[in-house]
Amino acid sequence: MDFSFTDEQQMLRDGVGKFLEKSYDFDTRQKLVNSDAPWSADAWQQFAEFGLLALPFSEEQGGLGGSISDCVAFAELFGKHLVIEPYLGSVILAGSALAQSGHEAAQEWVEKIVSGEAVVAFAFEEGHGTASPELVTMTAQGSGDSARLTGEKRLVHAGGDADAIVVLARKGEGGPPAFYLVEAGAEGLDARAYTTIDGRSAANITFNDVAATELQASEEAVEKIISEAIIVQSAEAVGAMEALVAMTGEYAHTRKQFGVPIATFQAVAHRLADMKIAYTKARATLIYTTALAESGAATPRDIAILKGQIGKLGRAVGEAAIQTHGGVGMTDELSVSHYHKRLLACDTIFGDHAYHFRKVGMG
Amino acid sequence: MKIEFAPELEAFRAEVAEFFATAPTPAIREAGRKTTSVFAPFKECMEWHRILYEKGWVAPHWPEEYGGTGWSVEQRFIFAEEYRKADLPPLLPQSLGMVGPLLIDIGTQEQKDRYLPGILNGDDFWAQGYSEPNSGSDLASLSCRAEPDGDDYIINGSKIWTTYAHHANRMFMLVRTSNEGKKQQGITFLLLDRIDYPGMEIRPIVGLDGFPEQCEVFFEDVRVPQSGRVGEENDGWSVAKHLLKHERGGGNAASPTLMRYCERARAAAEKTPSPFGGMVADDAVFQREIGELEADIASLGHFEKLAISGHEIARDPAFPSMNKTINSELVQRASVLMTQVSGVDGLARQLEALRVGSNVEPLGSEFDLVSMPLYLNSRATTIYAGSNEVQRDLIARTVSGS
Repeated sequence: MDFSFTDEQQMLRDGVGKFLEKSYDFDTRQKLVNSDAPWSADAWQQFAEFGLLALPFSEEQGGLGGSISDCVAFAELFGKHLVIEPYLGSVILAGSALAQSGHEAAQEWVEKIVSGEAVVAFAFEEGHGTASPELVTMTAQGSGDSARLTGEKRLVHAGGDADAIVVLARKGEGGPPAFYLVEAGAEGLDARAYTTIDGRSAANITFNDVAATELQASEEAVEKIISEAIIVQSAEAVGAMEALVAMTGEYAHTRKQFGVPIATFQAVAHRLADMKIAYTKARATLIYTTALAESGAATPRDIAILKGQIGKLGRAVGEAAIQTHGGVGMTDELSVSHYHKRLLACDTIFGDHAYHFRKVGMG
Repeated sequence: MKIEFAPELEAFRAEVAEFFATAPTPAIREAGRKTTSVFAPFKECMEWHRILYEKGWVAPHWPEEYGGTGWSVEQRFIFAEEYRKADLPPLLPQSLGMVGPLLIDIGTQEQKDRYLPGILNGDDFWAQGYSEPNSGSDLASLSCRAEPDGDDYIINGSKIWTTYAHHANRMFMLVRTSNEGKKQQGITFLLLDRIDYPGMEIRPIVGLDGFPEQCEVFFEDVRVPQSGRVGEENDGWSVAKHLLKHERGGGNAASPTLMRYCERARAAAEKTPSPFGGMVADDAVFQREIGELEADIASLGHFEKLAISGHEIARDPAFPSMNKTINSELVQRASVLMTQVSGVDGLARQLEALRVGSNVEPLGSEFDLVSMPLYLNSRATTIYAGSNEVQRDLIARTVSGS
């Protein structure tokens, strides 16, 4: 067994880390979140230069043939710096859905994603927690290049700004979930855009008999794409947890009350210990599950365990960080609450820990 | 990142499973099913130890040149998983998991030659003499005294919570050899080559589960040779800290045992009617609870696999304390779930039925027989080997630097 990052992955981490350290500090990030721009075009360009936009795609498709552990290697840093760019939606989800399709239009969109020319959103969630593809109810009428979509998708990251949308919908009444490509501005599309609590641009989108192109996809392909997205999202969460453990330890060391650092109080110290235990468990499960997926051996149960653990442990770390910071932890000014909100999002999207734990418990 | 799924590994799994299906005697199997503690029934446990020794599988986590198996991480986990599936008694940790690895690391050649063979083949069982009536979490305050006298030490004082001392023939212990300087500086680590020196008295303590697992050991002018010292005089604290890495860090993975508890709880829940209709196993709350527990045990397993493979996670100074804390609390949670499934059938006190070879039919199922004693006994897991309060203090220091 080998669970370490390779030298190449470590170099990628160093490069991306240095860039984010320098150009994506918290103040810069907050200015971006509070601006009219949905994300930073400059940062996106930098990601393209690092090869991140090409990474998961095969070399024949103009990509770099990267693996899931390559993505995990830098996604931890995305979490650590609260990156708001729609990497997960556009590259991992929509990109993979397009890449596995033999359709000519799909291949054109992959090229545009790789070059940084286009962002493609991924529409999956239908409200109140669409935890897995089997729970999707939106149903496509017709097939091939003349499919039609009607219904609503929620929390579509970059949904109001993307150049195209990949939609997960059923292939006819009672059919299996499949991917459909919709171009931005298509007739019958109505996007209501908003910013999420963790600073990302998203939209709820209604589809009123919208023209769509069916992208061939097996049920296994759909499941694999969602599983890999869960792994990458989990890596972001683990990166956020790492940042919170570090800054909370530092704060407890320097913040004095009753004349001494608050870390010297056992009640506070034990909460710090629990934060580190939670982060360590989450990271162990992330790395192990990544290695399983890389070996083609991750089962739905393995993914449910990862998703449940990341959700529960991330939430616990965020809440403990706010409590330890006291009043300032409650402010918008400090980054602590922003990390917590990112962790809340990671828990909620693709089914929360309660859902996944029950799935595990059903055996 | 890579995990091997080679066909050779499945052949290895079959070989291990075959051995576990054929080698243990009925008494050893019964002891395994009736194990309600980290410490399995002594006699059958040592019989099994000797059988594993003959096979060459008694110490998979030891270096190969000292009698380890030289297995890969995958093989070690397959071995542990099959071991638990077969419900065989776990081997006692004091010899193979603590003093053995310690001697391999820092014992003299003479100590290795003298003691490692008996540890491996099961001729010897070592008791651990650490805690004292007034020195529990604050172990360094210990006061059991050893005065140098010629080539010997004269020991006076007492030890407590000395697991299975009444079964042991040897003992490793911490004694005070100086009161100068910091309390950690006057401690010496001793190996006692016998446990029946004149002036030694061992009194078993009956635990809350009804079993005499722990002991008190009294020393009155006990003369032992200085050649049993490990490390320098007054430097025993660093020796003890080294041993603690083995005790808390654990060479053997705990997660397969815990996963097996969940399997047993699930199997029992499938046969237990729920007051809300159907079986307990179909109940949404039960499913949520066991799923959360299994996910947490899975995380411990991932943590263990990363550590055994040499991942950086095991080089964190808080690693042994985190491992101990996670593991001990999961044992307790698993045992709570088991007693919940047993319900009132866990309330009968059935010491005779639990005794290996008693042939007393349990009142309920074998699951109900063990769930409550396991729960009661596992209250100790967060107390022994450094209470979890002490562990959290140590972990917190690595977070805040305070």
